[in-house]
Amino acid sequence: MSFMLKNVNKKFIMKGKDLEVVKNINLSVRDGEFLTLVGPSGCGKTTILRMMAGLDFPSEGEITENGEPVTGPNTDRGFVFQQYSLFPWRTVLDNVAFGPEVRGVDTDKRYQNALNYIEMVGLTGFEDSYPHELSGGMKQRVAIARALANDPLDLLMDEPFAALDVMTRHKLQEELVKIWQEEHKTIIFVTHNVDEAVFLADRVVVLNKSPGEIIKTFQIELERVRDRTSPDFIELKKEITQLL
Amino acid sequence: MNKTIKALILPIIIIIIWAILTTYTGIIPSYLIPSPSAVWVAFENLLMNGSLITDTISTLTRVFLGFIIAAIVAIPVGILLGWSKNADELSKYVIGVLRPIPPIAWIPFAILWFGVGLGSAIFIIFLGSVFPILINTADGVKRTDKVYTESAYTLGANQLQTLIKVVVPSALPNIITGLKVGIGIGLMCTVAAEMIGSSNGLGYLILTATSMLDSASAIVGMLTIGLIGLGFDYMFRRAERKINW
Repeated sequence: MSFMLKNVNKKFIMKGKDLEVVKNINLSVRDGEFLTLVGPSGCGKTTILRMMAGLDFPSEGEITENGEPVTGPNTDRGFVFQQYSLFPWRTVLDNVAFGPEVRGVDTDKRYQNALNYIEMVGLTGFEDSYPHELSGGMKQRVAIARALANDPLDLLMDEPFAALDVMTRHKLQEELVKIWQEEHKTIIFVTHNVDEAVFLADRVVVLNKSPGEIIKTFQIELERVRDRTSPDFIELKKEITQLL
Repeated sequence: MNKTIKALILPIIIIIIWAILTTYTGIIPSYLIPSPSAVWVAFENLLMNGSLITDTISTLTRVFLGFIIAAIVAIPVGILLGWSKNADELSKYVIGVLRPIPPIAWIPFAILWFGVGLGSAIFIIFLGSVFPILINTADGVKRTDKVYTESAYTLGANQLQTLIKVVVPSALPNIITGLKVGIGIGLMCTVAAEMIGSSNGLGYLILTATSMLDSASAIVGMLTIGLIGLGFDYMFRRAERKINW
């Protein structure tokens, strides 16, 4: 079992009042599963993901990964942020090699490793470019490569494609599915886009608005690569959209 | 139109008006403002007898020494203050009170601590440079985007690695701005610094020329300081444009 969330609550204190953002979350994620958390903005889905990463902590309840409690960020859990998060003073190569660098992997090895992941996300030839020279889609590809270069068990993704145009977004979704099939990672992907959630996931977890609670989960059995125009796909999208 | 040519228009107009008011009409008497030609003559004399060169070199030496010591102190301390809330709060009032004190007010203590001469001059310039570098560095560190530090942590960096590999590079543009302002203020302190026991330097040149009512030479000293400042500013602006994230 990859992640286990037991009775997780999260409260923030706003102007002296408790604000409940996430309520009573019980969720277990299988190894190698592709799970999407979908819900309206402000439903606490990002908070849930951040707690799984160890960037935030539950007010009540517990989160474990492979049986170990999550106490902080860890190289077992890669994270891809919604905002562009590449270090602007580093080239693509040095961005992707950052994780192995801080873990003390020697230069040749970490560059070789970085080059492999750069190739995987289709950016061979851009190793020496700086982030400001890349388009939004390319930046997020690098961010994915950077997270994968640490060879994490899980990849936590917080609306990484939200800022991209539809064409780029669809392309990256397809590539992400391919990477997931090749790398056998567990992926937890947060989005407010139902189409994206259904296209990507083995299982879609639907949350409602503040405080975020799980309303329903959908097992998606459609064959990959999924056809967005198939009646089953459209039917599922409709069913989920009606819940939101 | 070329930018450099555009920027030269106003100075040329000022010189023309200056010449009209002094040399050509005498509206402003020469004991109030010397004419451009008198300043040019003074410039030629100071250049020929070599004192302008030696004064410029000795002032630059003092400014560089004061500035470099200020940077060596202010950058690490600024990083610490930006990184640690405790250090910031602990030092808030000390820095807040020391910062507005004009460096010239320290002259008596400069003499007591460093004697008359180079040490005191460097100390005064140091005091002028140190705070802008410190404040800008701390500010740059504080403003480091959370997404960078969180990325570093999720990629396995510890606190020290995050500080060195992420926070400091991220603050670099602000550090350079601090250096730019710091060297400018250091240069502004040269007259005060060279009031104490110096026997050369542009500040010394201005002071001695003024005391001998040689206002043309004083203006030569003033303009030289101004042009040096312009040069520094140009250098740091170029660096700022390159290092900009």
